[in-house]
Amino acid sequence: MVINSVSMMTPPTTVNETNKHSATPYEAQQSFAQSLKNAISEVNAQQIQSDIKTEKLINGGDVDLHDVMITAQKASITLNATMEIRNKAVEAYQEIMRMSV
Amino acid sequence: MDLFGGTISSLENGLSYATLKNKTIANNIANVDTPNYKAKDVSFKQMLNDAQQSSITANRNDVRHFDFSIKQSKPGVYSYENFRARHNGNGVNMDAEQASLAENTIYYNALIDRVNGKLNSLNTVIKGGK
Amino acid sequence: MTIFHSMNTTASALTAQRLRMDVISSNMANVDTTRAKQVNGEWEPYRRKSVTLTAQEGQFSNFLNVAMGKTSKHGVGNGVKVSKINEDTETPFKLVYDPTHVDANEDGYVRMANVDPLKEMVDLISATRSYEANVTVFNANKSMLTKALEIGK
Repeated sequence: MVINSVSMMTPPTTVNETNKHSATPYEAQQSFAQSLKNAISEVNAQQIQSDIKTEKLINGGDVDLHDVMITAQKASITLNATMEIRNKAVEAYQEIMRMSV
Repeated sequence: MDLFGGTISSLENGLSYATLKNKTIANNIANVDTPNYKAKDVSFKQMLNDAQQSSITANRNDVRHFDFSIKQSKPGVYSYENFRARHNGNGVNMDAEQASLAENTIYYNALIDRVNGKLNSLNTVIKGGK
Repeated sequence: MTIFHSMNTTASALTAQRLRMDVISSNMANVDTTRAKQVNGEWEPYRRKSVTLTAQEGQFSNFLNVAMGKTSKHGVGNGVKVSKINEDTETPFKLVYDPTHVDANEDGYVRMANVDPLKEMVDLISATRSYEANVTVFNANKSMLTKALEIGK
């Protein structure tokens, strides 16, 4: 592949754009919605895990105490994280709504 | 988003190792006077690598066939076939067990401390320092 | 294996050692007993008692699960228990020459209990040492669990 030097004489060659294009607003919205959904389902999964382990603890089952505590903390952290994401998203939305057209 | 990879999961593995080791030490010390009891221990590498089974197992087609894998009863727990047994066949070295106990407790406390630190810092970051 | 598995193990050991100490106390108390029980119409002196300790391995359901390949979660063991209190029938009775004693035989010898106080003291020290070691284990365990409860605080 010959690398052409850029000069003011030669017109800029067009870059082949078939494999990359800036996301359309629809796609951006979809990917954001997707990641939000993922975050929420992950929160749910963590909470369920924490509940399962807590149930085992209550019933005297086969579980380690540090395991229960760590899982509970993880669930709480994931929840906080998702809450913050939601807050930021809502804030961003409100910021945009406040822009005068 | 995987917030909890890497160090936190190794910390968890280390904690399960420490808990299991604590149970074996308690059992060893409880059986210090039992005749023909061989001390048990936990294999560090195996626990940390999450090994499930020993690779050398017998081909058992009948439940009555003995499994001659290295004398393990649980991933990581094995018995010492002690050369130095007391006159009643007991193989527990009390002093070594006490030392192990102290060491294990400190190890466990250290790991808990680290886990706490990491989880708290995650929390702080997420809450934005509020 | 619950979170209290280790505590249960230690508790079983404390119980076993306590029982061993009780047996030793009984032996020491009866060192001069010449009439412990009647055998064929004759009084027999006190026979020394001792305990047999066995390791508790685990419940049957654990073994079953391991055999079926379901889990490999056994093998740590469940502590110790006293399986039997035996009477020492091998050590002979001590013969003491005392013709004035009520239980003296025709030669003037009295059969005394086959308890050796020195041996009992050594046993007692051993039992005490084991008891203390188990208390240490229990405390270590308790501190570990308490520390685990503080995760995230």
